[in-house]
Amino acid sequence: MNDAIRMQISAFVDGELPDNEADLLLRRMGQDAELRRKVAEYLAIGRALRGETSVPGVDRIHERVAAAIDDKPFTEDIEIAGTPPTKAIRPLAGAAIAATVALVAIFGLQQTISVDGTDAVTPAPAVVEIDNGYTVPRPMDDRLRQYYLSHGATATENGANGINSRFVTLRLSEEEFEESLSGEDVAPEVEADEIPAKP
Amino acid sequence: MVLLQRQSLSEFVLVCTSLLIAGPALAASDEPMDWLNRMGAAVQQTSYEGTVIRIRDGEAESLKVVHQVADGVIREKVVAQEGNGLEIIRNGNEVHCILPDRKSVLVEEWDDQSTLFSTLPSSEIRFGNEYDVSIVREDRVAGRQTRLLAIRPHDGYRYGHRIWLDTATGFPLQTQLIGDDGTAIEQVMFAEISLNKEIHASALAPSYSTEEFRWFNQSNHHVTRSADTDWVCEELPRGFKVISTHEERMPGSEAFVTHILYSDGLANVSVFIAQSGEGGSQGPSSLSGSNSFSAIVGDHQVTAVGEVPAITVEQIATTMRPR
Repeated sequence: MNDAIRMQISAFVDGELPDNEADLLLRRMGQDAELRRKVAEYLAIGRALRGETSVPGVDRIHERVAAAIDDKPFTEDIEIAGTPPTKAIRPLAGAAIAATVALVAIFGLQQTISVDGTDAVTPAPAVVEIDNGYTVPRPMDDRLRQYYLSHGATATENGANGINSRFVTLRLSEEEFEESLSGEDVAPEVEADEIPAKP
Repeated sequence: MVLLQRQSLSEFVLVCTSLLIAGPALAASDEPMDWLNRMGAAVQQTSYEGTVIRIRDGEAESLKVVHQVADGVIREKVVAQEGNGLEIIRNGNEVHCILPDRKSVLVEEWDDQSTLFSTLPSSEIRFGNEYDVSIVREDRVAGRQTRLLAIRPHDGYRYGHRIWLDTATGFPLQTQLIGDDGTAIEQVMFAEISLNKEIHASALAPSYSTEEFRWFNQSNHHVTRSADTDWVCEELPRGFKVISTHEERMPGSEAFVTHILYSDGLANVSVFIAQSGEGGSQGPSSLSGSNSFSAIVGDHQVTAVGEVPAITVEQIATTMRPR
C-alpha cells in the first residue's frame, strides 16, 4: 500500500476526500479486504487518540504512535494479563504504523462534525456520572444477549435505529448459534432444535 | 466544520438559484418529509444489488447484498465478505443463515416485511419536538447524486442521523448514526449499487450446496404473551412513550420477563424486568450503537436496552419503579 493510498484513506476518514475520489475508494473497499483493514486501523487510532476508549492498553497505542513518529521499532505487547484485547484495539495487532499514519491519527482525526453542521446538541443532564466516551463492552452474558435479540425483534419496525438493531441482531444470532454448536461437542442438547432433514 | 459551513453557503446559493429557475415544484420536493416519504416507498419497492460497507467500533466490513421485491414478496441474499463467510438467504419471511465453515444452516422466521435497509424513518414517524429534520446539501454516494438529510436531536438522550438519499429514487445509499459529540458511531454505505435492475433467481441462490449441511430451527425462540404492568419510569427522558408491554419467556428459562418498549418516534428503548434471583450481571454494556444498563430495583433486575446513548439507558433502568 503506497503513501498516496494512505493519504486518501486519511482524507476519507477525515471526511475531506473529494466526492469522486471517495466514490472510488469505497468501490475499492468493497473489493479489497486489506484496504478495509487499513481504514479500520485509522479509525481505531482516531478513537484511541480522542480518548473514546478507556480500555487497558490504550496507552500502548499512544506509545506505538509515538514510536512510529520517531521511526523506532516497537515491541508488540498489547495484551495485558487477564484482559483480552478489545475490538477497538484488535485491528492494530501486528500492524506496523507508518509515520504518515501516526500524523494523520494525531492531526487528522481530531475533527468532529455535528449532524447538520450546526452547533452541538445540548448535553443530557448527568443524573449519574458516567464516562461519556466509548463504553467498554463487558462480556455479554446469555440473558443480556437474549434481551438484545428480543429488543431487536420488537423495535426493528419503529425507527431509523432499526438498521443498526438489525445488524446487532444478526451478529448476536450468529454468535449464539456458534456457541450452541460448540456446546454440542460436550453436551448433546443444543438450544436450537435440529431439523431431521432439509426442509 | 469549516468545510461544511462553506458547503452550506454554496448550497444556499445553489438552492436559491434552483428555486428561481425551477419554481415551486422543486421547492415542494425539497421538503424533508417529502424525501422521507420517497425513501419509505423506495425501500419497500426497489430491487437492488450492490456492496455495502459497514464501519463501526473501529472496524470496517463488507457485505454483498442482492434484494428483490416481486409480487410483494421479498427475496434477499446477504454475504459477509469477512470472517466465516456467513450467508443470509431470505425468501419471504423465512430466513436461512448459512455458516459454511460449520456446515450448518440456521432457519429463522422474520415476521415482518423488514429488510436490512427498510427500517429507516418514514413520515409516519412522529418526531414530536425532539428532533429537527432538514435537507442539508447535495452530495454523491456510490457514483450517484444524493440529498443529505439530517435528523438532529435536541438533547443528548438520543442519537442523530444523517441519511444520503438517491436523488432519482429516494433510496438511502448511506446512513450514519451520530453521537452527541458529532462523531459517526456507525456508518452503513453502498460502495456500489444497481437499482431496479432485473435480478435472476441464481443471484439469490445460496453459494453452497447445503444438502449435506445440518439444519437447525430457531423459530419461536421467544415465547410471548400480552400483559399489563405496574412498572413505570419515574424519570423518562422527554418525548419517550410506552409503545407496547408484554411478558416474554427467554430461551433456557421457565420464568416470564416483563418487556416494556419505549419510543420517541425514532429511538427505541426496551426495558426488561425480571426477578433478581434469575441471575444476570449489573452495570453498562455496549454493542455497536446499542447500549444497555442493568440495575437491581428491589428484588427485581431491571435492564434497559436501546440504540441510544449510554446515559439514556442508565437513567431509564435506574428510575424504573413499581406503582
